[in-house]
Amino acid sequence: MSSDVAFLAEFSGGSPTHAALELAAGAAELAGQSKGSAVALAYGPGAADAAALGSAGASRVVILGDDPSPAITHGAAAAAAVRGIGPIALLAPATPNGRDLAAALVGLLGVPAFGPVRAVRIEGGRVRTEQATLQGTVITVSEPTDEAEQPAIVLVLPGTFSPLEGGSGKAAVEPAPASEAGALGSASIVESHPAEAAVANLEEASVIVAGGRGVGSADGFAPLQELADALGGAVGASRAAADAGWVPYQLQIGQTGKVVKPALYVGCGISGAIQHRVGMQTAENVLAINKDPDAPIGEFADLFVVGDLFAIVPKLTAEIRRRKGR
Amino acid sequence: MVCIKQVPATTAEKRYTADLRLDRAAAEAVINPLDEYAIEQALRLQESGAVESVGFLSMGPEQAAEALRRALAMGGDDATLVTDPALAGADAWATARVLAAALDKLAPDVALMGMASDDARGSLVPGAVAAMRGVPLLSYGSELRIEGSAARVRRLTADGFDIVEAPLPVVASVTDQVGEPRYASLKGIMAAKRKPMETWSLADIGLSPDDLHGSALTRVVETRKPEPKPPTERIENVSADEAVTRIADWLASRKLI
Repeated sequence: MSSDVAFLAEFSGGSPTHAALELAAGAAELAGQSKGSAVALAYGPGAADAAALGSAGASRVVILGDDPSPAITHGAAAAAAVRGIGPIALLAPATPNGRDLAAALVGLLGVPAFGPVRAVRIEGGRVRTEQATLQGTVITVSEPTDEAEQPAIVLVLPGTFSPLEGGSGKAAVEPAPASEAGALGSASIVESHPAEAAVANLEEASVIVAGGRGVGSADGFAPLQELADALGGAVGASRAAADAGWVPYQLQIGQTGKVVKPALYVGCGISGAIQHRVGMQTAENVLAINKDPDAPIGEFADLFVVGDLFAIVPKLTAEIRRRKGR
Repeated sequence: MVCIKQVPATTAEKRYTADLRLDRAAAEAVINPLDEYAIEQALRLQESGAVESVGFLSMGPEQAAEALRRALAMGGDDATLVTDPALAGADAWATARVLAAALDKLAPDVALMGMASDDARGSLVPGAVAAMRGVPLLSYGSELRIEGSAARVRRLTADGFDIVEAPLPVVASVTDQVGEPRYASLKGIMAAKRKPMETWSLADIGLSPDDLHGSALTRVVETRKPEPKPPTERIENVSADEAVTRIADWLASRKLI
């Protein structure tokens, strides 16, 4: 067993995902606390060129595979790599792929799992995590039991760590130890249907303008898109708006959609039901515009504007453009 | 076989026991809302003839039998409850271990689960159960189909969707896009009372408390309330122009424009 800190580094389209860069920084921070090294387990298209993760915080990179197959099909390779490294903790992104691969490790290795967490640290050789439970009404601090084996598998929410900037250096790269893929490897993608238009990646947006039932139609999202453009951000939505077909499901924020942590979240015509709230409650600044003075979002927004979004949003866009001088 | 979990209702007042576990006896309990979509998906497969029978499996305290009865009122054929005093406080690993052992005994073609639970939200149990049982996982399906000796899910990607396939038997999880769960009819509620329900202990699935390391590999060392946020500023009963000026001032004061 070592005091290294491993992390799952997903690649997509030839580059590391934002989550991979965040976790590289997180693993480097934790490795500093445990006096070990940050080791990446890289998978997905582009993972073969993962040496550049060195500038993001990794000392070593183990390549699980660079094909686009479902993440969990790398489960056996990941388990073999983890057995070789013996890390004290393994950070996984709290995304569908990250959770699947983390779950495979929990099942194959019989090790403890935590999260999704919004804070994690190593104190005196012990992993400690902080998780908001019961819809954010309680924060629980947890650790592995004395008899639990390493590593602690920790699901980490987006935005918990920030990617290192201006780093340099290359990580040492090695292939994963040989393993049999087994049954987990028998799931395969038999059809792929990319969208005709590009869809914003909300997890990377620093400003999100989200619309809900009150937006009323697909066309109603046009002024929200303009406000997002003026703020340099992306458009998101509540489940009601995605279910209505006004926007693609990839833009849904909440319990069954994306969990986001932008610097600014603007909720337009969104009531703020608990299922939506769990997806955006860690946003740094929350502005809500809603006709209903009693909407639940008015209880946790930083600024709550009671009014008609179609009267306010276009004028706000113009005012922001005027103040930005363009 | 649909795996369901009884959870405290989101509206319920939550309490913790002296050892920092959620006091599940004190809160109003419901079927985990996302598990209802898995039930709905299973019942649709049965109605279309793609599967012969639908059963429900739950691990929990004895009261979880109520959740299984509610599922049986929606449809399906039978239910199994795994309950044992040694399971109090089970974490994701222990839950997966117990479900995997019970599923080994039940040997269904498809073990179907919701995509997450309301009270923990780790979404780890489906993948861990698949790894422990040595069967493939089809996760986050917005639709599940059975095609001959294989199962397929439609799964959202960054900008579209994939169809992912695996040979039976599989563990699968589905999202809230599979279709709205049906309500139990009065007839269904009456019929549910006559459907068979078995209760198994740990020993019945070949596990001992030692196998579960005291029901968890994790422990809670502290719980606390989140730090209160500053009160919400409100802008109301003003013209749109006035509101816009004040919003822009607020954005500027926080260096957001």
